[in-house]
Amino acid sequence: MIRAESLHKRYGDTIAVEDVSFVAEDGRITGLLGPNGAGKTTTLRMVSTLVRPDRGRAEIDGCDVTIDSDGALRRLGILPDARGLYPRLTARENVRYFGRLHDKGGPSLEREIDRLFGVLDMAALDQRRVHGFSQGERMKVAIARALVHEPRNVILDEPTHGLDVMSTRAMRELIRRLRDEGRCVVFTSHVMQEVAALCDEIVVVARGRVVARGTPEALRDQTHERDLEEAFVAIIGSPEGLRS
Amino acid sequence: MNLRHVFVVLGKELTDAVRDRRSLLSAFVYPLTGPVLVVGLFHVIIDAQDIDEPVHLPVAGAEYAPGLLDHLRRHDIEVEPAPADPEAAVRTGSAVAVLTVPPDFGERFREGRSIEVELLVESSRKEGRSSVSRVEHAIARYSGQVGVLRLLARGVDPQLVRPIALVSVDLATPRQRAAEVIGVIPMFVIMAAFIGGMYVATDSTAGERERGSLEPLLTNPVDRRALAGGKWIATAVMSAASLVLTVVTSSIALNYANLEELGISVQIGITDALAIAGVMLPLALLAAGVQLLVASFARSFREAQTYLSLLMFVPMLPGMYMMAASLDPAPWMGFVPVLAQQVIMTSVLRGEGLDVSMTLLSLIVSLVFGLVGVGCTARLFKRERIIFGA
Repeated sequence: MIRAESLHKRYGDTIAVEDVSFVAEDGRITGLLGPNGAGKTTTLRMVSTLVRPDRGRAEIDGCDVTIDSDGALRRLGILPDARGLYPRLTARENVRYFGRLHDKGGPSLEREIDRLFGVLDMAALDQRRVHGFSQGERMKVAIARALVHEPRNVILDEPTHGLDVMSTRAMRELIRRLRDEGRCVVFTSHVMQEVAALCDEIVVVARGRVVARGTPEALRDQTHERDLEEAFVAIIGSPEGLRS
Repeated sequence: MNLRHVFVVLGKELTDAVRDRRSLLSAFVYPLTGPVLVVGLFHVIIDAQDIDEPVHLPVAGAEYAPGLLDHLRRHDIEVEPAPADPEAAVRTGSAVAVLTVPPDFGERFREGRSIEVELLVESSRKEGRSSVSRVEHAIARYSGQVGVLRLLARGVDPQLVRPIALVSVDLATPRQRAAEVIGVIPMFVIMAAFIGGMYVATDSTAGERERGSLEPLLTNPVDRRALAGGKWIATAVMSAASLVLTVVTSSIALNYANLEELGISVQIGITDALAIAGVMLPLALLAAGVQLLVASFARSFREAQTYLSLLMFVPMLPGMYMMAASLDPAPWMGFVPVLAQQVIMTSVLRGEGLDVSMTLLSLIVSLVFGLVGVGCTARLFKRERIIFGA
């Protein structure tokens, strides 16, 4: 379970995040939806220990991200905004590196990599160097790397960004699968349809604040709009940035 | 901090480095070309001194002074017929000098009068200078010998006209003279320490961020000091490999260079080579730590490379200052990294043995500098500007 309480972050005079709170439950997909620049990425960076909040706190399965950041990171798999790989290493070596940094190793680590490569349908990429991989292939390696330590909580920042139709479908399937395995999944998107199709719970962020939250149905009811897209426009106040 | 993490990072960075042509080039091309250049340089020096080469000297009126010319020939000066226009020949450099013997040479010689022989030279020209001085010395010596014989023939002790005989005694051993010439070798080894790890330092910091892999890397539950430490050791390993290779190739190259022609002898044996490598190796730790810090601070890969190229000249400064100011080695130099290694290495090359206490001091100083670099790099990895780029 991921809990964020009243997170604040400003850079100079620019307020990036102003009072963001949400709770992402296990076995549910929680989507952070908002236009570009709404503060989604900064929020996730605070939750994943890379950025220290000015105020507020966040915890992963009860581990405070500022007090016990290593404990929080052990319980968290992260696909960050930057998802660069090491081009001179093979797909397996890339994933193995992160596995070892999580204090795993030996045959059990290799078995876990085998399992992930099977799930992600990337056995053919296993021994190939990452240099020259397509966007979709890179994304698979980055996902495998984020999941290699079998985290109970998963954070995905714009996981379908830059993917073609087939890869996007595969990614959605994977997200559902992670949920069905009982994990807590949080992802961000600025694509309304994606959030509508996947999420059990939606947190709408605009101008650094949470402006609405609830199930897709609840949001529709709340705004008295039949169409979810119209509901978001009503909530955010402008349709800008909601479509891909 | 978990030491295992240091080794995980080290292993990954080294795998990455040896698979990268650019990092291998920067680490190993220099040691293989540097010493070859040095040996080439020595040959240029030897050629410039043209010690073996006979001097070709055009002489006008050679037939008037057969005795003098025999003397010149015995001193490796080949007498040639004078060109039509001696002045032009000297000015254009086709002859280093032209000697003119006057027709009344024989007559004045018999009469015991002083004879003016004229040597045309062009003193602004560098390459003929040693040839000219050989000719001048040979003629002066002939003149002296004839004078001595004349005094003896008249029953006068030649010592009367030589009240003072100056004898200079050079205490430098051939090895010490050689050390003056091969003073460039420490410079080469120091450069190797800074060139060897340059690419890895850049690739594992600024490169890591530019590639977008720094952010994911930092979401592992790993102490930043372990990350910086692994990258530091990887950089130092490449630097050390380059350094050791440079010592090996320099030793081989020096042993093959015909330095005897310079009147000096340098044979770097295995013991010397080991001592040099041992003294210089801590520089790898120093260079790696400083380079890692500087490269982390840079905003981009290119910027990091520019900084590191400029940084390479910094270690040269103390040595250059020492040479320019003609400072003699002093104990305080042990505290100045790079300068300390240069002082120790020069004395090893001079055959004066290894200054153990200075060596230990220089090791500690280099290690401290390296560790400070790593510590600061680890702190930088916590800054948002460094993680995400500005």
